[in-house]
Amino acid sequence: MVGILEIGHSAIMRGSQTMRQTPRLTVRFILIFAYLTLASLPFILALVRLQVVTGHTPIEALWRFGDVYGASEALVFTLVEASASALLTVIIGLPIAWHLGRHEWRADTWYRALFAVPFVMPAIVAAMGFLLLIDDEGMLFALGIDLRTETGLIGELAERTGWQHPGHFIALVFAHAWFNLSLMIRFVEPTLARLDPAWEEQLGLLRQGQTRIGRIRHLWWPVVGPAVLCAASLSFLFSFTSFALVKWLTPFNNTLESLMAKSGGSAGIENYRVDTSEIVMSASIVQCLILLAALYLTATLQQRHSSRFSLISESGARATRGPPNWKGRLIVYSGIVFALAPMGAALLASFRVRHGAIGSGISYQWSSAGWSAAWSGDLATMGIGEALSHSLLYAVCTLCIALPTGWLLASTILALELQNRPKLAKALDVATLLPLAVSAVMVGLGVLLGILKWMPSLFQWDLLPVLPHVILTVPFVVRVMLPAMRAVEPKWDEQATVLNLSPIRSWYHGYFSFVRGPAVVASSLTVAFSMGEFGASWLLVRAGSWDTLSVVVDQLMSRPKFDPLVQPAAMAAASVLMLVTFVLFFLAERFRPEGDGGGF
Amino acid sequence: MKISMALMVLILLATPLSGCLEQDAVVDECTVLPPGHDDDGTLRILTYDITALSEQVTDEFTNQTGIPVEMIKVDDAGGILDQMMLTKAAQQADLMIGLDNTYLPTAIENCLLQPHTTSAANLSASASVFYDGPLAVPFDQGDVCLNYDEDALSEANMSVPTHLSNLTEEEWKGKVAFPSPVSSSPGRAFLIASMEYFSHQSEGDAMAWWSAMIDNEAIITSGWTEAYETHYTGGYGEYTEGYIGDAWMTVSYCHSPGVEAYYSGNYTHSTSLMLDHAHFHQVEYTGIINGAAQAEGAQLFMDYLLSEEINVNMPENNLMYSVLEGYDLPETDGYRYHADVPDVVTTMSYEEINTNMDTWLESWKSATQQS
Repeated sequence: MVGILEIGHSAIMRGSQTMRQTPRLTVRFILIFAYLTLASLPFILALVRLQVVTGHTPIEALWRFGDVYGASEALVFTLVEASASALLTVIIGLPIAWHLGRHEWRADTWYRALFAVPFVMPAIVAAMGFLLLIDDEGMLFALGIDLRTETGLIGELAERTGWQHPGHFIALVFAHAWFNLSLMIRFVEPTLARLDPAWEEQLGLLRQGQTRIGRIRHLWWPVVGPAVLCAASLSFLFSFTSFALVKWLTPFNNTLESLMAKSGGSAGIENYRVDTSEIVMSASIVQCLILLAALYLTATLQQRHSSRFSLISESGARATRGPPNWKGRLIVYSGIVFALAPMGAALLASFRVRHGAIGSGISYQWSSAGWSAAWSGDLATMGIGEALSHSLLYAVCTLCIALPTGWLLASTILALELQNRPKLAKALDVATLLPLAVSAVMVGLGVLLGILKWMPSLFQWDLLPVLPHVILTVPFVVRVMLPAMRAVEPKWDEQATVLNLSPIRSWYHGYFSFVRGPAVVASSLTVAFSMGEFGASWLLVRAGSWDTLSVVVDQLMSRPKFDPLVQPAAMAAASVLMLVTFVLFFLAERFRPEGDGGGF
Repeated sequence: MKISMALMVLILLATPLSGCLEQDAVVDECTVLPPGHDDDGTLRILTYDITALSEQVTDEFTNQTGIPVEMIKVDDAGGILDQMMLTKAAQQADLMIGLDNTYLPTAIENCLLQPHTTSAANLSASASVFYDGPLAVPFDQGDVCLNYDEDALSEANMSVPTHLSNLTEEEWKGKVAFPSPVSSSPGRAFLIASMEYFSHQSEGDAMAWWSAMIDNEAIITSGWTEAYETHYTGGYGEYTEGYIGDAWMTVSYCHSPGVEAYYSGNYTHSTSLMLDHAHFHQVEYTGIINGAAQAEGAQLFMDYLLSEEINVNMPENNLMYSVLEGYDLPETDGYRYHADVPDVVTTMSYEEINTNMDTWLESWKSATQQS
């Protein structure tokens, strides 16, 4: 079967001749070189400065990792939580994807959009939502599952096993699974939806298809396995670099990223707090090496998934399986509740204001006072209207640069594949993912140092945060556009040319119209990620005054909350961010082609 | 491909990179530096998330002087120092507001501030005792000390500690939360308080006590917010998300119970542990950054911040005491009534902190890591 899949894939590859519309190769490579330099320069600059401050070469820093304050504990915790999160994502996401893909749902586009939203939700909003869900007035607490103060069942678990703070760990892993749920849906569900039911029937007639294990081994694993592994490896990657969720949900533990974020402020300063520079240098190198390996694995798995996916292209197979049974409904509807719960909780909390009473403690009342305070900036933060305008401005600027850059990179990778230069194509494919392997703290520090060195006046340029946003969003554009470009049939372009259309119209009808959907999806992802970006701006904001909505949420949440309006105001700001992201992604989902299995 | 990737990574890791960048210019003497950024008429203020600096306050300044204000906000006082150190060669702000007396000596030693002309004539003695030089002026103050939950102690039939060493006993196991002095300014202030406290005791030393506290499962958090809000049972934290509530005592201000009462209709079950010398008088300063482009505007804002119009409102707007002579906390809703005032003043001097802070921090890290 694998052989057939490979032949099918290479047939598509051979036929594809879409490169006529792209710029000349030399120009293309100059632009790509410029991007890769821009993407790697901040990391190199940060590394150089840290070497000057600590007096250690990168190899020495790697060697000294075990001696760095808190680094070993952070590495163990990061590996454990990322692995557990990836596993839980598969456990929760696979049944949902299975039932969503194998049955005809009346509102399947809406369901897919709903499951996709958590992935683009700013992590700080997700953190707030989960904190509310594990509150002592929540449903989980009523069921005896106290993840927050770890009493009852969870307390007993901690006592019997000696496992410290299992409740917080469980909350974090579930939050990561929530965040990454869409990866499983996006990779697995289209594969299942397009699989011809005849394959199952034919396998059922063979000896290998008589048992469930046999069917898994001979049909399901070869077909769905690469998609599951691809989603799991990406879940591992995103959980590994988690920062805001770790900061809020597991206050007793650090991931490498959160450890670096806590030390990042004073890192890179000569003759001052050398210990923090040592932490950031060692941790960033170890993190980069692990993530490079994970990214290589991801790129390999995604390529394998694309080749399998290209074979099973029987669109409409889902319809032949009919409506879902009660089990399918239960699983998918439960999944929807799981996806919506943290967001709903955050929205509700924005209207819930603490109210003090003499001698009798505290009560709550429903009020829009938090919204008023957040909107007007009465709590000495930027008003959410202004912060939102900053966020949107940065997001649009990021889009204007990231989309063409990502497009160019994806089309070049495809061109190299078509020219039968798979090694170079793979190298470039992995290189485009490099920014995901670099800590946001290092990107922020590197940009800060680079600008200080070469152009300090740039600090007064309001659009400076766009730079790290572009670096961090281009890899996502490439990941969305590349499979879409691979799927474009050359005959469509040829047919448009035969019609004697102008070059632009020919390009539009013969090529662009087939990648327009993924381009809109990539654009929405870019805007959503830019709006929710927290890590790099968290450091960069130290050198500017361009607060974004996600920064305002964090400022409010980090503030002493003696004043009862602080928390509802933070939730109001988080709700605005959430609603804008929500709308964006629903718009994007309308453009996503039916059965698109490109990944994100 | 695999080999070339690995090779690329190895080359990156192994190459000595120090020669790639020249060293930043080092300022040997504290001369006034040229502006680090262009003067576009805007006053840029480097501060942490100070609630007293609301938009209304800065707008009023702009109305009075015609100078627009832009805020550059960092996490805390430590973040202000970090930022000033990092951008030393080209400062991006004109005025700093918020360095406290645990960080000020480092800033002055590194020539990060330039002289001002703000009059300190009407400052209270407690505000100017630590530093009254020409480079910074205080704008608010308060005492950092231990706060405890009266109800929790009462329910557990525990007595109030009379010595810090009581906290190393079994009944306090896992029930005290400290913000780390490495990453938190109240944590740093309490580290100094512990040094001062044990310097006045006939036996025991601070680092041995910290070590014993770690053995007694003291909770160390990265910042004040986590310690007070997430762990402390006596404060508003129990009404916030993420609350754990496993600590009956934590580090905060001696007047924090007053703030609790002020916002809760004169109700609080938190109070301060009043042990002689187990507190630190924290003073927060403002000063013109060396390399400011808008030194004149910065000077005007310092005067504005020290004016009666703004400074007497510090208790309500910034939850700290005013530095002006003759002003106390308001009586409203038990603010003043529940705020404790130490009987003994802090004796730790500017010179002692300047000389010893780094050593204390290293010793603290060793003491808390080795346990």
